Amino acid sequence: MMFKRVFPLLLAACLAMPAWATEGLMLRDDSLRASASASAKSVGVAAKGSKVDLLARQGGWTQIRAAGKTGWVRLLSVRGRAPTGSNNALAGAAELTQQRDPNKVVATAGLRGLNEEELRKAQYDSREMQRLEAQAVTGEAARRFAAEGNLVAAKLDYLPAPKPKEAATTPTGGFEF
Amino acid sequence: MTKTLFALILAMAASAVQASDPDRTYKDWFKDQKLAMATPPQAAPRQTAPSASSPSSSPVSTERPADQLLHALLSGKVSVEEERRIGDKIAGNFLGAVKLVPDDGLQHYVNLVGSWVAQQSERPDLPWRFGVVDSDDINAFAAPGGYVFVTKGLYRRLANEADLAGVLGHEIGHVIRKHQLKVMQKSQFIALAAGLLGKQVKDENQLIQNLVGNGAEIMSRSLDKEAEFEADRVGMVLAARAGYDAYALPKVLEDIGHVSDQDSRVALLFKTHPRPIDRFDHLAEAVGDRLDNLPEGKSLDQRFYRLP
Repeated sequence: MMFKRVFPLLLAACLAMPAWATEGLMLRDDSLRASASASAKSVGVAAKGSKVDLLARQGGWTQIRAAGKTGWVRLLSVRGRAPTGSNNALAGAAELTQQRDPNKVVATAGLRGLNEEELRKAQYDSREMQRLEAQAVTGEAARRFAAEGNLVAAKLDYLPAPKPKEAATTPTGGFEF
Repeated sequence: MTKTLFALILAMAASAVQASDPDRTYKDWFKDQKLAMATPPQAAPRQTAPSASSPSSSPVSTERPADQLLHALLSGKVSVEEERRIGDKIAGNFLGAVKLVPDDGLQHYVNLVGSWVAQQSERPDLPWRFGVVDSDDINAFAAPGGYVFVTKGLYRRLANEADLAGVLGHEIGHVIRKHQLKVMQKSQFIALAAGLLGKQVKDENQLIQNLVGNGAEIMSRSLDKEAEFEADRVGMVLAARAGYDAYALPKVLEDIGHVSDQDSRVALLFKTHPRPIDRFDHLAEAVGDRLDNLPEGKSLDQRFYRLP
């Protein structure tokens, strides 16, 4: 029964794309650009809801292949299906399999997660609070640390809340993210 | 049934406090309790002189510290000291449930990154405290006054310092926008309702106890969905201001979105937050083309403190 559910998924995934690429889903229409810059020449359009292959990342840009064309779109215009480097189709199927494996369930249940009951019963721990205090750093130390990492503070306005037209549902395009 | 009753009590208390034409009975009751609920707004500056004001400096004041805090919460102007006392209680209770990872190098590192990110906010001078707690859960927490915690389970999923900065930035966002205090502003009606039922608010500690509830249960309460989205926007911006890769936070969300919702390690996170993919989508919506000209930030993969 489990096999029945997983197999079509696996098959579909294998047919859909080369095994080495990471699959992504376009969340909105975006221009396909020749390089990772808003001022780069547009070489096409990647449409919302279309499945694409993710090839590379540079800053706020992701290189994709969509309908045979390669170009760059804004990083937030596309969502990846699985972490780069893993054979996502098979890894996904394996994960499904494991979830239905009773042994795996036992192993997961053995991990003690934070639960409400535990949090509700918690008593103030002054020793841990002292340990926390002991690790505090001064602003000066933080600035030195930033300078060592060549981090340069930049000016940037807060992002306003987008207008509430969010009712638009997320396309799932036939596969779960 | 209980819910209805609860809502009713809440509504009653709310109308007593907020309505322009307050219910006389409650008003009288508050007066009896010397809670000074009906004090006009001009009395608000009291909160700038917190508990230290109790000596002889203000002889007419009949308010006890608990009254001041309650008043401050109602006016939405809690002093930093009061905010800190509330946060201390929550953080201390939280650490009663889950301990800090016994790795000073790790804790020091997280405080350095967190403090640097927090300095990019409008509240750089809060006594910021950051900690990694020993849990396989994938989650992060904040408490008023500058307390931020990340679980070891989440920390292990991070790839670099920018990822950490983004996650801490989200929690810093909750603190600087006072999201939990705002929830308490609503939940203090519970304390008042408790008072109506005969439990008097005797001192500030008891009031904080009433506000915070049992243990660190407050950490498992959901904030408003909009508060989570706001914290994401703030987190992304603070990390970028600090010189980090601004896109680290959405990338972390994307990653967490790949964890099965059947996995117990994300049970609490998924229960209390919008779905990671919805948070990613929200950021996409909020950013649009606004960051097109933002210089590429740093990831600092090499410096990232890796757990053994």
